[in-house]
Amino acid sequence: MVDPIFNSDNYQIARKLMDAAMLRQDAIASNIANAETPGYKRLDVASDFATQLRSSVEGTGATTDMASITPSLVKDTNTRSTRPDGNNVETDSELLAMNKNTVEYDYLTEVVSYNLKQLRMAVSGNPS
Amino acid sequence: MNLISGIDVTAGALNAQKTRLDIVAQNIANAQTTRGPDGLPYQRKTVSFETELLRQAGSPGNAASVQSVRVGSIQNDTTPGQRVYDPSHPDADSNGYVTMPNVNMAYEMVDMMTASRAYEANLSVVKNAKQMAMKALEIGK
Repeated sequence: MVDPIFNSDNYQIARKLMDAAMLRQDAIASNIANAETPGYKRLDVASDFATQLRSSVEGTGATTDMASITPSLVKDTNTRSTRPDGNNVETDSELLAMNKNTVEYDYLTEVVSYNLKQLRMAVSGNPS
Repeated sequence: MNLISGIDVTAGALNAQKTRLDIVAQNIANAQTTRGPDGLPYQRKTVSFETELLRQAGSPGNAASVQSVRVGSIQNDTTPGQRVYDPSHPDADSNGYVTMPNVNMAYEMVDMMTASRAYEANLSVVKNAKQMAMKALEIGK
């Protein structure tokens, strides 16, 4: 009875994206902490997470089981370094990414909350 | 998993930057100290950071790891200080020259700005991480 809400695509995707946002916050914290570490390469959430998630929603990819898709961190070696020590962190773009990430997380918590509220309304019949 | 993600990484960085600010303060305070405890002019101190591996985040093949920083060492800058002719100075040598500390105000001010900006950046990471944790606690309310 309750399953449809917890298994709905929206709810599942929001949960997965929240995991990713939490991990991205970890990566950004590491990047800003190491903004002056020689040779440090910035971390980011692996881009194959988003593509896997998308293809699982569309039902086109190899992974149809959404629960098995987990975000992971990778070193970003593509961003060019503007410094002689090889470090490719730019504090301002990290801060920007962090704020964006926080807003995204806030939004996702709203989505999850909304799903739970819907369920509560269905159970109690009270639209509050 | 921490409730406030990345807080351990940031804590290390905050600590390191604060030590750096302390050292800058010490350098500026001693910019005119011609006689230290060892009887020699003050030597400028420099801080170097080192990486602290906290945890392996990626798959084993891909070595993406969350790193924090900590103060590696505090060393003396051994470049010779400026020699100023001032025979009336109590620390003047037999030729009337005083060796001043090798503190360069411009370097120190730039270092101070860099350290405090880095500190601020890390603080805003803490703020955002906290906001995320608070939002997570509000789920379902």
